[in-house]
Amino acid sequence: MVSAGEMLVLAGLVLAVAATRDPPGKPENVSCVAVQEKTTISRIFRCDWATVGRQTSDVPTKYTLNVVVIHIRNYSVSTEGTHTQVEFVDTYPHFMNLEIWVEAHNMLGKIESEHITQDANSFVKTNPPSDIKVISEKYFPTSPLMNWTQPIDKSYGKLKYEIRFCTIGSPNWTYVPKGDIATDIQSFRLQSLQPYTEYITQVRSQLGHWSDWSGTTMKTAEDRPTSKPDVWRIIAEVDGKNERRVQFISKDPVFANGRIITFDIKIQEQKNDNLQWDTILVNGSESSDGQRVITVLKDMLLADLRPVRLCVTANNSVGTSPMASLFISAKGHEDPPVKGLKVWSAEGKLWLQWTPPNGPDLSEYVVEWVSGDQTDWQRENKNTRLTAIKGNLEGFVRYTVSVYSIYSGRIGKPASKEAYLKEGAPLEGPVVRLNDKPGRNEAELGWVEIPLHRQRGFIVNYTINYTGGGETHEITVPSNTISYTLKSLSSNTKYDTWINASTVRGSAQSSTHSFTTLKYAPGEVESIVVGVCLGFMFVVLMTMLLCLYKKDVIKENLWPRIPNPGESTIGNWSPDYPLKAETPKENCLSGISVLDVDVCDGKSMFEEDKACLPLKKDKYLSEEHSSGIGGSSCMSSPRQSVSDSDEGSDMADTTASTVQYSSVVASNGYKGQTPNPHPQQAVFSRSESTQPLLDSEENPDMMIQESSRQSQHFKQENPAEIHLLEMDQQQQQQEEGVESLDFCPLDEESEQTKSSEGQSAASSYMSQREGYRPQ
Amino acid sequence: MAFDSSRTVAASRNQQCGDSVQKSLKLSRLLQKESVDLIKTYKASQGEMSELFCKVSVNNVPDPNISGLEPSEKIASIYTHLQEFFPHFEWVYKQQTDLQLPTSPLLSDLRRFTAGSRNLAYLIKPFYQSLFPNVPLPEGGPTTLPPPQNVFQQKVYGCVVLKTFKELLSNVSRELRSLKSQVCRRRTHTNTLF
Repeated sequence: MVSAGEMLVLAGLVLAVAATRDPPGKPENVSCVAVQEKTTISRIFRCDWATVGRQTSDVPTKYTLNVVVIHIRNYSVSTEGTHTQVEFVDTYPHFMNLEIWVEAHNMLGKIESEHITQDANSFVKTNPPSDIKVISEKYFPTSPLMNWTQPIDKSYGKLKYEIRFCTIGSPNWTYVPKGDIATDIQSFRLQSLQPYTEYITQVRSQLGHWSDWSGTTMKTAEDRPTSKPDVWRIIAEVDGKNERRVQFISKDPVFANGRIITFDIKIQEQKNDNLQWDTILVNGSESSDGQRVITVLKDMLLADLRPVRLCVTANNSVGTSPMASLFISAKGHEDPPVKGLKVWSAEGKLWLQWTPPNGPDLSEYVVEWVSGDQTDWQRENKNTRLTAIKGNLEGFVRYTVSVYSIYSGRIGKPASKEAYLKEGAPLEGPVVRLNDKPGRNEAELGWVEIPLHRQRGFIVNYTINYTGGGETHEITVPSNTISYTLKSLSSNTKYDTWINASTVRGSAQSSTHSFTTLKYAPGEVESIVVGVCLGFMFVVLMTMLLCLYKKDVIKENLWPRIPNPGESTIGNWSPDYPLKAETPKENCLSGISVLDVDVCDGKSMFEEDKACLPLKKDKYLSEEHSSGIGGSSCMSSPRQSVSDSDEGSDMADTTASTVQYSSVVASNGYKGQTPNPHPQQAVFSRSESTQPLLDSEENPDMMIQESSRQSQHFKQENPAEIHLLEMDQQQQQQEEGVESLDFCPLDEESEQTKSSEGQSAASSYMSQREGYRPQ
Repeated sequence: MAFDSSRTVAASRNQQCGDSVQKSLKLSRLLQKESVDLIKTYKASQGEMSELFCKVSVNNVPDPNISGLEPSEKIASIYTHLQEFFPHFEWVYKQQTDLQLPTSPLLSDLRRFTAGSRNLAYLIKPFYQSLFPNVPLPEGGPTTLPPPQNVFQQKVYGCVVLKTFKELLSNVSRELRSLKSQVCRRRTHTNTLF
């Protein structure tokens, strides 16, 4: 037993459930169609409708299509979709009234669509007309005749038709007014078409529904040209001459109405010229992209100061066009250009804007665009201020865009700008090279501009990159730069460098160029070498000077003179001084004449002193080279030593290399020899040797005195200096007694005695003040 | 007011009258065209000597002429004559079913043509009843079908039936054209008088 509360709950549940579910929506937009099947209408009758409201899977809606052939039969088909079909028995019910509706029902209810009651033919969709032909007749080039075959026999009903046409490539159709097309026809004459133009023509039929379009393409017949040819010119300066190369070019008239076969031109350079027309044949190819072909009419040289007028007509197979003319002014006499020209790219086109010039008689503008050797142009109305180039422009190509003002056929000065329809990154980078050999800390880079057809945009800057020594640097320079000097480079370092050329759309990198900086700066090595050489030369010079200045010392130390016995001769002389040992006299000592001979003046000295050499005996001239004992390195010429005791004590070696002989003191024994105690006039024969005698041998008397003195000085003074000092002191002594060579045997004895005493205290080799001269 | 409303009703009825006649006329023309095609198909399906079949006279084929003087009589005659042919169509169809392949286009064409002919009759009946509601439309008498026939006779019989019906359709079209002006205008004129 269910209580009241439970009943209420159940009722609430039912209501809740019902609230979430909807009754079926009314089907709308019911449409039905029966299509043609071969020569008759199909018995299949298909209908579609639209559902309204929510469709839920738990409350499905069923649709029933009801088709009543009035007075004959009812058809009904159910579906859960939004379309279905019925099949009429045996035949389509032509000319019978049909009543159609769709019923929607679900568990919550049902609803019917609007009932449609119409003739059965109103639902028929025939095939499109077939066998369409369009015939363009020679004398009616703008009115071709269109024929077709009706899709179904007219006994099924009168068919209506609709016709449309368009030019190939155009998206816009032109529809023939429906009122102009009768029913149940199979031909129609189109009107107002352009001659010599290709069209697409289409037709469709209607019994109930419109059929699909069917059509064909056709080309209308030629007609006489009805517009002027579009004439223009290309002018190029001729180097070195006051002339211009003018090329007249022309496009076919806009309304050529046929294939242009020839152009007739007339060039008028003088006012009253009455020239004949020249006929220019046109190359037959026609442009396939909708752009008119450009024909070169004439090439000519025109003097700068001469104007010219060109008149042109175009001919096709039917007739001749109206005449066009173009006037080229003398150079410098052109009319003013437009002002404030701006060119920019937008929406896939190149746009131009300008301000009109102030000249009178402005008739139109010509917009020209040039790329390489390709020229094209378009004409604009004189009121135009803003336009876009209508030609086919390519991206990444630089165009020179110009606007010319045309004054009653005269061409004014152009206003020009360069522009790209679309910019991109360059295809390649610039070619990098070094302008000169790299230096120690710098290098000059140069680069060749990218070819114009590879730039693909305006170069805005170059970025120089170089890396070396573990560092990378980047420098940006303006686009008008073609060289740059890299500074503060490390010496003897390899650098890799490359350059990026940039446009607003991107950049391209050049190949890497490597170079190595110099270790030394140019001239540095040379300067070092020169410096070293100069220094070396200075050292050498100073050394030479030193050698010259100290030649005696050097000679004494390095080349002591050693007489050559092989070249000595025995000479007899009698000494003319007592044999007793006397104090050293100049005469005695003059047997050892000390002659200061300057090294450098050795030769002259030799010549000067030669005459005064106190030599009585034959002179012995021995030539000694500087390499002889006692020879000086300063000596560059063979030395001649003169040794002759007869002639005096001054046995100066005029070449400054001759070592003085010391007189032999007979009284002194040599090496312990006991000289003759009875000094006599002795005749000695001695070899004329250049070897200096020992002082003990020369001056025995002096030996004792000298030994003590020398012992004092020896320790302190340089022996060479001692010798020089003694020599200086003795020089004066010797000069007095230089004429004769005094030989003092006695003195020698005494000297030997003295010297024997003094020798023990002094060295065995004593300085010979008079007789020894350092070489 | 009564006069005006009667005018409106009369105009509406006139429109319906004209539409009915027009539809009947169109359908009869369609059937005429289809009969021509059907006869061609029939002849092409019968083999040799088929051109001779339609030239032979056969008994028991209904009369194609429309009788009667009054429009009601003519309309009734149209209706009854159409009805008379239907059993013969079925008889011909049955015979051809034995003579033709099941996929023969003649059979489908016969079915379609027969159905169309019936539709014409279905259009005539309400037209008559709308014009003459108090005069019952005769349904026609019993149909006499031919006795069993051999193949040749069947072929001849079928061709004669189709040819005769084609003639009937021509007569029907002619009568309907004249009836349109007679019946629909006359009715209007009659209504305005009242």
